[in-house]
Amino acid sequence: MKKTLLLAFLFFGSMESMAAVGAPCGDYGECDTFKPELNNMESLQLGALTFINHCYGCHSLKYSRWGRVSEDLDIPEDIFIDNLVFGTNVKLGDRMMGSMKPAVSETWFGIAPPDLTLVTRLHGSDWVYSYLRTFYEDSSKPYGVNNMVYPGAAMPNALASLQGQQILSCKDIPIIASNGGVRRDEFGNDITEKKCGYLKTIEGSGSLSVQEFDEVIFNLVNFMTYIGEPSRSDRERMGWYAILFFVVFTSFAYLLFREYQKDYH
Amino acid sequence: MTQKSSGFFNWINARLPIVNTYERHLSKHPVPKKVNFWYMFGALASVVLIIQIVSGIWLMFGYENTEEGAFASIEYIMRDIEYGWIIRYMHTTGASMFFAVVYLHMFRGLLYGSYHKPRELVWVFGMTIYLVMMAEGFLGYVLPYGQMSYWGAQVIISLFGAIPYIGESLEIWVRGDYYISGATISRFFALHVVALPLILIALVFMHLVALHEVGAGNPEGVDIEKHIDENGVPLDSVPFFPYKVLNALVAIGIFGIVFSIIMFFFPEGGGYMLELANFEEANPLSTPEHIAPVWYYSPYYAMLRAVPDKLGGLVVMGAAIAILFVVPWLDRSKAASIRYKGILSKIAMTIFIISWLMLAWLGTVPVTALRTTLSIIGTVIYFAFFLLMPIYTSIEKTKPVPERL
Repeated sequence: MKKTLLLAFLFFGSMESMAAVGAPCGDYGECDTFKPELNNMESLQLGALTFINHCYGCHSLKYSRWGRVSEDLDIPEDIFIDNLVFGTNVKLGDRMMGSMKPAVSETWFGIAPPDLTLVTRLHGSDWVYSYLRTFYEDSSKPYGVNNMVYPGAAMPNALASLQGQQILSCKDIPIIASNGGVRRDEFGNDITEKKCGYLKTIEGSGSLSVQEFDEVIFNLVNFMTYIGEPSRSDRERMGWYAILFFVVFTSFAYLLFREYQKDYH
Repeated sequence: MTQKSSGFFNWINARLPIVNTYERHLSKHPVPKKVNFWYMFGALASVVLIIQIVSGIWLMFGYENTEEGAFASIEYIMRDIEYGWIIRYMHTTGASMFFAVVYLHMFRGLLYGSYHKPRELVWVFGMTIYLVMMAEGFLGYVLPYGQMSYWGAQVIISLFGAIPYIGESLEIWVRGDYYISGATISRFFALHVVALPLILIALVFMHLVALHEVGAGNPEGVDIEKHIDENGVPLDSVPFFPYKVLNALVAIGIFGIVFSIIMFFFPEGGGYMLELANFEEANPLSTPEHIAPVWYYSPYYAMLRAVPDKLGGLVVMGAAIAILFVVPWLDRSKAASIRYKGILSKIAMTIFIISWLMLAWLGTVPVTALRTTLSIIGTVIYFAFFLLMPIYTSIEKTKPVPERL
């Protein structure tokens, strides 16, 4: 019986891979993995700073409140207000409604920039992390850029000043022989083929190096993961206590059960 | 107990049969002494029912049943209400776990013939509970008013439209509007939090009263009522308290561990319990790429999609649930338990499990030609298992059922 079930699962598993639908990250293929660090306050604070400076102009975080962010991210209120809250009428209890009126932005961009509070829950942090790093120059598009993860995205590369120009380039890729090794010619040189569609950043065109930029995006997506579910780190911390409670509960219940079972066995 | 308090209980008991009822249905209620883990899911289902009712009441404190406010109110519960996220995840995890334990409970019924005479009505009430649960789950899924709430509701409500003559009017009557709107949300809310829970509680009560009248079954299919002592208590039984309570406590503890792991670490259940598309507010102008139900409806959804005609699909889906009600009269076997049934029943059961799991998986993935074929095969097997039951259970040779447990 168990064997049959196992076989059935294996069977469906293999069919699933045969019938694969579009890759999760569009032209980019598989998304880059993003592992959030929700207890890394420095990263979250830097991410919040990047979000407010580069994203908040167009995108709201309307389900979140300013005060909650300041509290959760360990940013003292006065520093928070001076550095992150723009606008004089904003109170800490207010929701983060964005700076742009949707009606206006719709005429500018053709579509109102979506609220981003839940974007990491909707698409996954992996997706957002990949998306933000795969803008490339494409003069056929209204903003001069296109995106590999979400081709045709109606959004300019808001972080271009940091990243610089990223273009699609071609590379000479070694051909892999059927035995798994690199195919070589009779002189022992690798045989290569030209393949295109690789992202390449033009050095010196942005204010940050590739590595520094990746770090900025990591912090940003880390913050966005936090804002998607601010209670997540609490949840994962409390989960262990809940499990521990039930383990202890079950142990005692079992001992008592075993004791009483002797009455009728 | 002191003289005074027992006097008090006597006074009450003379006016309200509280002690008698407690003794008859709880403390002294005889239950078969030897059962296995399959017999724990009924108790677990009642635990989840309580979780759902309590967490549901707390959710109502923060939920807003309007088209404009529903989605935002869920985020309000998740963020602004202290520990609101615990309440919500308890409810969403509870919904999935409710179906999980009920499916295992129903499977136990099939496996050990819990519907055999004289327990037919216990089974029928149980099936009615399952039917109401499906409606309850659907209505609840619409309330957060995310994309999948909206489009899932669109698919399900449009099924009413497939009914000839009255379909279209019926559809409007169910929605309360020409399209899914605030009117739909507020009526679904009323049904989800008041009407169906009342029916559900009443049905659970009937399920238990009927069960206590005929007594619980056991994995051997032995009739323990045949051998009773001088007080009329079956020899192979133990009183519910403390023996079966302790048994249930162990089960509840293990269940608590599983529940906590899911609720605290995987509340989305990989998108099968909380679908990711539902993290976006309902948008009538943009259809999600892939509309799929949550996992517990998926076998029926696969059947619905297997039939190219909408009305045909609806009929097949309805029949798939309806046929479960008559199982007590389809099984002609002399033995209740699979342990003493013949080889044909065992083969049928194995194929049935595999095809049911296959349908469950097919209901969650996008359609391809191969998958549609598999869905048709799965649907045919599903019906064959039940429709051929009177034949294979009566021609096969059963093993003799023992006298004592």
